[in-house]
Amino acid sequence: MRDYWLSKLFFDLQSPAMAAEFRAARDQVIARYPLDERVKRAIAENDVPFLAARTNPYLLRYYFFAAGMKDDEFIRRLNHG
Amino acid sequence: MASFAGAFAASHGPLIIREWQRVPVEQQRRMSAAYRELGRRLTAAEADVLIVISPDHWSNFFLDNYPAVCIGVGERHDGPPEPWMKDFPHRTIAGHPQLAMHIAGTALAQGYEPAVSHRLKIDHGSCIPLWRMELERLPKIVPLLVNSIEPPMPSLARCYRWGELLRQAIESYPEPTRVAILGTGGLSHSIGEPTMGAIYEDFDRETIRLFSRPADELIQYLDAELPTSGNGSEEIRNWLVAHGAAGGRGFELVDYLPVPTVIVGCGFAAWRV
Repeated sequence: MRDYWLSKLFFDLQSPAMAAEFRAARDQVIARYPLDERVKRAIAENDVPFLAARTNPYLLRYYFFAAGMKDDEFIRRLNHG
Repeated sequence: MASFAGAFAASHGPLIIREWQRVPVEQQRRMSAAYRELGRRLTAAEADVLIVISPDHWSNFFLDNYPAVCIGVGERHDGPPEPWMKDFPHRTIAGHPQLAMHIAGTALAQGYEPAVSHRLKIDHGSCIPLWRMELERLPKIVPLLVNSIEPPMPSLARCYRWGELLRQAIESYPEPTRVAILGTGGLSHSIGEPTMGAIYEDFDRETIRLFSRPADELIQYLDAELPTSGNGSEEIRNWLVAHGAAGGRGFELVDYLPVPTVIVGCGFAAWRV
């Protein structure tokens, strides 16, 4: 299953300018996307398995890399929540 | 007429750049030597044009429209958009629109329907091998983006046939141009899924072995094993395109080494043509 707007957010965050804006004002950026409340909560909580079920794995990995999560932590959360 | 100048393949994982300083010295040495050897052979092949086969890592396409195959037909392409590729020495890359459009026309005439793009971003998938091969002169590049990132993906058999089609297109192009092919990516790796970091060395070695067997045997093995060998391994499609272009005659393995630091089974090959 693909959540289009979640995927679009992650895709757009590949832009360095957008990523910088996201780091500075995360809620403001998220508000531009018609995301389900549960998806917003998963982003806020770094709920990797929930998000993994809704987007492409490359976009998912990119997002958490850009968000500063180390690969070891990403893999741990991916497997264990 | 144009002529086929050779086919090559090399891995392209992002950590080859981002984590290079953490790669053990002996593995650095072997990878660097393998890339340089491919660069030496490509230089010796005197290619005017290089068709580079890679997936698009969400640099150009999104869920709105993700083509199975896209040919870059522009006069110029943009260099890699990834911030960590900022030191790649080319911010734009010359294309070869005449050959690219000839490939597209040849494909359409034979019942293939590739997308075309007049301005592509050429991401790390193509640019890491081009960079690491240390080419003194970059040939003109025709990008062939083959989807191995987002399902549904073109079948493995179709990718092999795409290689045969490229060979036909090259050999029917009326200008005296030498054209080589570089397949990028693979071998096994796993990205953004629970097995992330895994390298399936047995899969890699068997895949390498089967490249010297009839193509049907190789494709049958890959069809069976790819679903459990890491999503990054889907990039073997790009090697299959090169294989088809080279007539399925098998390659000389320049090197293979699993490199946990870059989470890729790194392969380097030059086809017997």
